[in-house]
Amino acid sequence: MNVEQWVEVFRATGLDDAMMQRWHREFERRYPEQHESFLKWLGAPSSEILKIRNIAG
Amino acid sequence: MHTVGYLAKLFGLSRSTLLYYDEIGLLSPSARNAANYRLYSDGDVQRMERIAIYRDAGLPLETIRQLLIDESDSVSAALERHLIGLNEEIAKLRRQQHVIARLLGDAQVLRGSRSMTKAQWVALLASTGMSEDGMSAWHAEFEKNFPQAHQDFLESLGIPNEEIDMIRRFSSGK
Repeated sequence: MNVEQWVEVFRATGLDDAMMQRWHREFERRYPEQHESFLKWLGAPSSEILKIRNIAG
Repeated sequence: MHTVGYLAKLFGLSRSTLLYYDEIGLLSPSARNAANYRLYSDGDVQRMERIAIYRDAGLPLETIRQLLIDESDSVSAALERHLIGLNEEIAKLRRQQHVIARLLGDAQVLRGSRSMTKAQWVALLASTGMSEDGMSAWHAEFEKNFPQAHQDFLESLGIPNEEIDMIRRFSSGK
């Protein structure tokens, strides 16, 4: 499973972009290390992980 | 032609590792010089490159040796077998993480393990404004499109197997 597929599942569930942004923000705020670990699990490259976490942080 | 020392440096291996590879027939130098020192050809270096890749993937040396004898479609089969083994190992390690955290009764321990609990995950999803129905829908989508990843994800939260089965059955509407 990769990042796009994860997003696809979220979207199919009815989450919009704003909700997903809020989700990343909360993830980063509450559990920064787990957020990173989760993104690694999805196989996101380090550069993308950094980008996502910067936007969320 | 290249010496043992050169190859060792090139691949960050010790000389004794290369001598061992020769001994087990994994990588034998093509030639010897007058003083009977091992000499590796460019072909040997290429072979070592393949060995290094398979080693990084965690394949046992004996499997690598077999692969290099007949490198047709047995490669993907061997890698796939290894991947399945890794998945099982990861699941086992995760269970151990969660058991340790439970035994120590310390949420901080789990934090250090970089794992999430089910409760933390649910709270996180709820913070987006997702309702309980939304979460059921999410599980259903997850199960429908990526059943293996769904299983893997639930295992990572330290959820017991019986409960995982229940969640997945429920998610697939069975």
